[in-house]
Amino acid sequence: MKKLSFLLMMTVALFVLAACSGSGEEEGSAAANSVEASDEKIELTYWYAWGDKIGENNENLVKQFNESQDKIHVTAEFQGSYDELHAKTQAAFAAGNAPEVTQNEIASIGTFAKSGMTQDLTSFVEGDQEINMDDFNPGLMGNSYVDDKLYGLPYLRSTPILYMNTTMAEEVGLDLAGPQNWEEFQEYAEAFTNEEGRVGMSMAIDIWFYEAFIAQAGGSTMNEDSTEVTFNSEEGAAAYDLWRNMSKEGTLKLNSGTEAGEKARQDFVNGHAGMHFASTADLSYLLQLAEEQGFELNTYFMPSGKEAKVPTGGANLVMTSGLEEEKQQAAWEFIKFMTATEQTVYASEFTGYLPSRVSAAESEEMQALYEEKPQFKVAVDQLQNGNARPMAEEYPEIAKILVDEMTRGALDESIPTEDVLNAAAEKADALLK
Amino acid sequence: MALVKDSMGMGERRSTSQSLVSWTRLRPYAMISPAILVFCLFFIYPIGYMVYLSFHDWNFVSPTKEFIGTANFTYLLSNLEFREVIVNSFIYTFFTVFLTIGISLLLALWLNRGGAIYSFLQASIFSPHITSLVSVSMLWMWIMDADYGLLNWALNLIGIESIPWLTSPDYALTSLIMVAVWKGIGFNTLVFIAGLQSIPKDLYEAAELDHTPPWRRFLRITVPMLSPTLFFLTIIGIINSFQVFETINLMTEGGPINSTNTFVYYIYQYGFQFFKIGYASAAGVILLVILSVLTVIYFKVLSKKVHYR
Repeated sequence: MKKLSFLLMMTVALFVLAACSGSGEEEGSAAANSVEASDEKIELTYWYAWGDKIGENNENLVKQFNESQDKIHVTAEFQGSYDELHAKTQAAFAAGNAPEVTQNEIASIGTFAKSGMTQDLTSFVEGDQEINMDDFNPGLMGNSYVDDKLYGLPYLRSTPILYMNTTMAEEVGLDLAGPQNWEEFQEYAEAFTNEEGRVGMSMAIDIWFYEAFIAQAGGSTMNEDSTEVTFNSEEGAAAYDLWRNMSKEGTLKLNSGTEAGEKARQDFVNGHAGMHFASTADLSYLLQLAEEQGFELNTYFMPSGKEAKVPTGGANLVMTSGLEEEKQQAAWEFIKFMTATEQTVYASEFTGYLPSRVSAAESEEMQALYEEKPQFKVAVDQLQNGNARPMAEEYPEIAKILVDEMTRGALDESIPTEDVLNAAAEKADALLK
Repeated sequence: MALVKDSMGMGERRSTSQSLVSWTRLRPYAMISPAILVFCLFFIYPIGYMVYLSFHDWNFVSPTKEFIGTANFTYLLSNLEFREVIVNSFIYTFFTVFLTIGISLLLALWLNRGGAIYSFLQASIFSPHITSLVSVSMLWMWIMDADYGLLNWALNLIGIESIPWLTSPDYALTSLIMVAVWKGIGFNTLVFIAGLQSIPKDLYEAAELDHTPPWRRFLRITVPMLSPTLFFLTIIGIINSFQVFETINLMTEGGPINSTNTFVYYIYQYGFQFFKIGYASAAGVILLVILSVLTVIYFKVLSKKVHYR
């Protein structure tokens, strides 16, 4: 009996130990197996987020790079969503096998740069005659600099845009010009809503969309220095109240949970919602889905409130820090290639992402595409209203707090809007101190 | 070898026997030293490092770790969100273990007999256990989808309104418990059946001769004879449930509104999404303490009631 209980105790102890030590350390060994033959070549690993069209685009561009020269070989590896990519990059960096080149979602540029995981690229730009930094669209450069140093080049960049099922809009007698402002947006949503459960829009309670609406109301989620949160304001309340009121009227369906974004897309594609907010990056994919489902769609500016503003989004390309000089040079060559005019045109055409270079937007190919599929032009035009995203180190946590509280308010209509936002602000302030 | 032999032959008898004695004494330690080494390297060292980190402010990457004393712990314990995490973990563990063991025991009593149909049923119930948790999570996410899921479709057929299984804070934790129970029943049932089959038949025969009613046979023979199995499954169940991660990561990400956030996911979130390793380690230390205390209590109180043969 004693023996058995001792054995059990040891087994239990092992489980307990395994629980506490095993939780985080299995990640990020993927980079290690990228070493392949061809002894002369410099081997680089590149990590990217998102699959489908976006993933194919990444793989294709890397293939183009490998075929364009014979000194460097890059292995591209898919890592899931932005959050997963960031978590894995960090774990791999701590373990000493981070990829040489990876993506930073633009609001995380500051987090990575300040913790020393990414390489300051300023000297590479200064020492390179080939690269013309002025060619990058100035509206996209806000999330590239940290403390006046360049940490990332604009790669797959986006803004949220409004998608509308025009086939359905014609059926309900709506003007195909689309809603210009919040009032018209509400009217459109009402017109789409019917008794069979169709709504004007199905939308995830998402920090990026909230950033858009609060900016349209004339505010922002954080102050310019990213030292305090500013969403618990008149502007923040106006943006959130618009959602809540529409949700109460049944014209806007607010989704929560891990599949909220996917659900919004399904509702739009299946004809359960007339309109859809999404990144311009989804354009190619949505056009394809719309064709399969047999409806026409068009794209529009986000409806404006007091102001016409949208956040930018997407990812910048960054180099991890602590590389040998040879690898740094190779990584810089790769980054330069991926963000060059030709590749920018390719990526934009393939996915719907913004052409982040002026020369790419003005190129013949892009102009021809805009002629043929005007849906692609909307995001580029809208970029004149583009804002940078907040870059505070704590922003991922603040975003989670705010989305949680807004979800609470969406599920329980009796909580006053002020209380929802103040509760979130109080928790966020505790973090920033 | 030759040298050893030599010295043994030439040396005094006394010292030879002494070295023999000490070797006899040392041998067990020498034999288990590789295991101990591995144990220290992979279990003791990480735990020690975790405790060390829990007193520091570190983002996993910067070269300096700032010593901040017990600040991580005081912040954790005053944090409302963390309290929710503890409550969620206990609720999840209690119901998962209780339901899994209860249902498995009933199933085992029912399926513990010969015949092809029962073997088939045993195998069917066991199949979720060998399915990877990721597949299980994906499957249930589809089944529990609020608008397009199978479960709500079935409920609608019998006139019950759709339930937002995973997207409402009122239901999400329950949904996760359902999945855990569904997955856990197979293994538990199998172990129970094995336990039942090892109970000597003569006990039941004797009871039958005495006309003991079935429920009494169950309470007086089956339960005591099964108690080691019951004990083992409860302990394993508690520890596994406290460590739940995959289903939460895939199905709810701790949400909505923190309603399904449990220990390991919380640790992961702070360590790998918010880059606060010290804080995450402090939560890990608290998990370690809770599990150790639970285990010790369990052994002290319940082991006395367990009947080992």
